[in-house]
Amino acid sequence: MSDTTASSATPNRLNRIADWGIYALFIAVVLGLPMLMDDVFWLNRIAKYLVYGMLGIAIALSWGYAGILNLGQGLFFGLGAYMTAMSLKLMSSTSLQQGSDKPVPDFMLWNAEPGAMTDLCCINKGSFLWIPFQHQWFGLAMAIVLPLIVAFILSSSIFRLRVSGVYVAIITLALVLLVRLLIIDAQPVTNGFNGLTDLGWLTIGGFEFDPYMVQTYYVVAGSLCLVLLLARWLVSTRAGLILQSTRDDPTRARYLGYDVAAFQVFFFTVSAGIAGFAGMLYVVAAEFASPSFMDITFSISMVVWAAVGGRNSLIGACLGAILINTIEATVSETEVFKEAWKLIIGLIFVLVVLYMPRGLAGLARDLTGWLGQRRRGADPMPKAAE
Amino acid sequence: MAVALSIDGLTVDFGGFRAVDDFTTVVEDGELRVILGPNGAGKTTLMDLISGKTASTGGHVHLYGTEITNRPEHIIARHGVGRKFQIPSVFRDLTVRQNLEVAASGEPGVFRNLRLHMVAQDRERIDRVIELTNLGPVLGTIAGELSHGQMQWLELGMLITQQAKVVLLDEPTAGMTQAETFKTAEIINALKGSHTILVVEHDMAFVREIAERISVMHMGRLLAEGPMAQIEADPAVREAYLGSGGIH
Amino acid sequence: MSDIIFIGLSLSSILLLIALGLSITYGAMGVINMAHGELVMIGAYTAVLAGLHLNLNLFFALPLAFVTSGLAGLVIERLVIRRLYGRIIDTLLATWGVAILLQQLVRLEFGLSFLGIHVEGLGPGLQNMTVPGFLTQPFDIAGITIQPYRSFIIVVTLALTALTWWLMYRTPTGVQVRAIMRNPQIAAACGIDVRRVSALTFAYGSGLAGVAGVLLAGFKTVMPEMGAAVVIDGFLVVVVGGVGSLLGTLLSAAVLGQINGVFAILTNDILARAVVFGVVIALILWRPRGLFSFKSR
Repeated sequence: MSDTTASSATPNRLNRIADWGIYALFIAVVLGLPMLMDDVFWLNRIAKYLVYGMLGIAIALSWGYAGILNLGQGLFFGLGAYMTAMSLKLMSSTSLQQGSDKPVPDFMLWNAEPGAMTDLCCINKGSFLWIPFQHQWFGLAMAIVLPLIVAFILSSSIFRLRVSGVYVAIITLALVLLVRLLIIDAQPVTNGFNGLTDLGWLTIGGFEFDPYMVQTYYVVAGSLCLVLLLARWLVSTRAGLILQSTRDDPTRARYLGYDVAAFQVFFFTVSAGIAGFAGMLYVVAAEFASPSFMDITFSISMVVWAAVGGRNSLIGACLGAILINTIEATVSETEVFKEAWKLIIGLIFVLVVLYMPRGLAGLARDLTGWLGQRRRGADPMPKAAE
Repeated sequence: MAVALSIDGLTVDFGGFRAVDDFTTVVEDGELRVILGPNGAGKTTLMDLISGKTASTGGHVHLYGTEITNRPEHIIARHGVGRKFQIPSVFRDLTVRQNLEVAASGEPGVFRNLRLHMVAQDRERIDRVIELTNLGPVLGTIAGELSHGQMQWLELGMLITQQAKVVLLDEPTAGMTQAETFKTAEIINALKGSHTILVVEHDMAFVREIAERISVMHMGRLLAEGPMAQIEADPAVREAYLGSGGIH
Repeated sequence: MSDIIFIGLSLSSILLLIALGLSITYGAMGVINMAHGELVMIGAYTAVLAGLHLNLNLFFALPLAFVTSGLAGLVIERLVIRRLYGRIIDTLLATWGVAILLQQLVRLEFGLSFLGIHVEGLGPGLQNMTVPGFLTQPFDIAGITIQPYRSFIIVVTLALTALTWWLMYRTPTGVQVRAIMRNPQIAAACGIDVRRVSALTFAYGSGLAGVAGVLLAGFKTVMPEMGAAVVIDGFLVVVVGGVGSLLGTLLSAAVLGQINGVFAILTNDILARAVVFGVVIALILWRPRGLFSFKSR
């Protein structure tokens, strides 16, 4: 018996080595990229795709590990983006009109009633909401805290009421559309359709992070690696394993004494926090926040990136998002390819769902499994005695 | 002897239809109780009521003196009720070992489980269960790929790992071969004494193998209760079973 | 007051129009067809092309669009959806890919634009369908202004709903469809050709989308992206109504349309839509299975 357990451990160990190898390689490449590429415009672009990679991680965490398909992840991304952008907007020179020392967003001035006091307190009815955002760290903190709060309230109501499956997807989808409309409608406070543009730069200890600067790339890349490792740790804990059990069979998990909803709420909320963090980094790199972050297309696209990369794999989903966007950016340089690419990507989505439901990561796992078998040469799985 | 499970006047009314009707019984600590009854007698519903899947409309359930009537499933489970379903219910995408590990974690909360390794006691418990259930050779196998019998044993193993004090088993041998049934009886006999067990079962050969006391249900009510020989001789039981050809 | 109700009614009828096809493909087949909007779009383009190249007006375009969208639906069912029955989330993702493909095919004029060939009525631009004159002149009856095109939409939608109800509840095929809805395995065991009936049902639902496209084309600009905007609304209506319930879909479209209409007057169009989304979320939380639904095991 000890023989059989040892032999069944071999592919496991091989898998684990391959797994950590891929993580190490990924982190090395992401952090080492500036040494290979000194074009800051491309580095800036890639920084944005790394942010999408972070969204891939958020999706894999909630969809792959918790079995909760969130079609409204753009909500948390958008909230994170807006919170950050509000602070950076007030730091922008465009907010200091005519040598004034009190920052007021330019769009508020343009739309202000004649004679209104040009101060955040009362230039319009909602402008007081901007007051705390004069501190950059408030905006940055809110970029994560607000998504966490919203996600906690939302997921508590959903999972306590035991809403599941498609219905969760539809609620999250309706909510992101709802918030998008509210932001568009609150034009005086949010600049509506146009979103927040002409932002200042993130400033830490007097250092200004120009988006087209290798340091800014490192901020994004370092954050991505941290989030990846954090997520990896989370799913490796006992709680991560219990979460996966609730995905497979919530009833069985309940009968083992676990409060299934608590696990779902926790991981849904963490996933939302990651999306909010991604929104923050996106604004730092891309210098704008827009209601289009809450378009349904964007939220579904995230899910599709994760599906192509592998919904059950954090790094797979992350790579899927980065690869698809990098390829898209490369081929979009020429007009003909740009149009043709959309046909190709549509086709890829269909084919992946039909023939590769575990995505690229599944393919890689099958490959290492196959290699492991070849190495041992013999009958792989000790099949159950019938 | 201490009372493990006391059920008092338990009733559920599904809009006029009483699937379980004023059911009362007392199960001693360490007892193995078999619940018999024709199809539709309310046996599975009774288990649903005890384990919290269905809310009762009347009566009480006490577990070692603590009232657990109509509490949420996971709370009842934490009080020590484990349940095995008729259709084997294991985590199909996890490996056999992972299934047992999920069952082993004594901590129910999210934050207490944010750690990578298991407590040594939990690991020992898993090892003992693996030995009892012969699942050693398939520990790395995804549970969904197990044979029907192995899946049933895994589920039983999970209940033991979970340290359930009272174990509810819903037709544990349904769909099993004779050899598998025999193995299952062995596992259940090994649990006798250390666990209190409630079994719903149709297979009379199996019941004779394991039964101590039997409760017979009919139309949601308790019809008779006692040892095997007494039940077989009971005229009311014979009458109730006439439609389905008597006890075989 | 009657104005408000009429506005709500016409919003409802459009919602119902889009949701009707979905109610069948989602409700009966358990398929979240994200390409449903693109089937609507195909219907609209059928009307545009039929007008431009064949000189056929709205009334001929309606059956024609039913056929083209129905056929497109049949192809999608054969190639994609057939392999995904029972995997509802995967149908959503795969048909999202199909939706992108279809949009892009129209934008690229089926690839002809790569060869420098241009087909009038296709391509990335905006198109319009001409509505026959007598349907565009508003007229007054008893002091109430009647918009004839809107009324036409309401009448056609109600007729199609009635037809669908009749098909589902009064024909042998309808019985088979409903049997499959409840339990495909048992239906198959009873000798129902599940694959054939599913394909037909899907084609019928797609055909309804095509009809909706023609009617939409009468008051909305026709463009490759038009479908993406309508499919979500359709879903919300179906889910709120309850999966598999035609009556639920009808009532939910009526309620959501009226809410939209009333709030559009009280506030503005944007907030009115936001209110509708809020109501939808609350309703799903309150009754996840929808307002009207049978208990399925």
